[in-house]
Amino acid sequence: MSLFYIVDEPTEEGDGDLALLLADGELDYAAAPQLKERIAAHLNASHRHVVLDLTAVSFIDSTAIGVIVGALHRLRESGDGSLAIVCERENKRVLRIFDIAGLNSLLDIYDTREEALSALAATG
Amino acid sequence: MASGLTAELRLPAHPTELGVAREFVERACVDFGLDADAAFDFVLAANEAVTNAIRHGRADDDGQILLVTLADGERLTLVVRDYGVFVMPPLESPPRLEGGRGMAMMRSLTDDFELLIDALGTTVRLSKDRR
Repeated sequence: MSLFYIVDEPTEEGDGDLALLLADGELDYAAAPQLKERIAAHLNASHRHVVLDLTAVSFIDSTAIGVIVGALHRLRESGDGSLAIVCERENKRVLRIFDIAGLNSLLDIYDTREEALSALAATG
Repeated sequence: MASGLTAELRLPAHPTELGVAREFVERACVDFGLDADAAFDFVLAANEAVTNAIRHGRADDDGQILLVTLADGERLTLVVRDYGVFVMPPLESPPRLEGGRGMAMMRSLTDDFELLIDALGTTVRLSKDRR
């Protein structure tokens, strides 16, 4: 059985425009629909900025990556939205998977939530 | 692990079984003696193949697909068999936003990759060589 969870994290950052999602475990094809649903709920609520914390994720596959890339495009196309990934550098597995999928240049990946939120604040 | 040793798994064709499939392949990597980096890549590729079989393929009458690992000297092979006819996603550059990436990943992560379609179904063979 694939074990994962994806939850909304409360945040006071971003003036209500920001969604912070925490994922844990293995994000594979079993997890992808829930990941998509969680992110879509925020996009539909017009949150312009999504921060997805993958530090506690041990595995991610192309279906979950596809959800993330789809969300990124939707956010960018809807205006000046953004999607940031948090994945600490010790999580070499997930970082390697993003690298293999050729996404290191497409995705904004930060070592900590603080860095991701600072980068967001800097762009306004 | 000597040549020819095999392990077989009949897996319920359901997304929640993917973790079982990954563990099965990881065990084969350990038994074969693949180094950790090669094993990681191979499990990742195997996950893509099994995901495709569950997602796009068809299960047998018991709702299962078949995984077999084969060791042959310096090469570990995973065979994934389902009972539907594989439909090749169009090769595009850049890849389709939400799909099409898995095939490219499988090829880059393995030393050999074969897709065989017959009247009864689809077989994917992935191989990784000992370095």
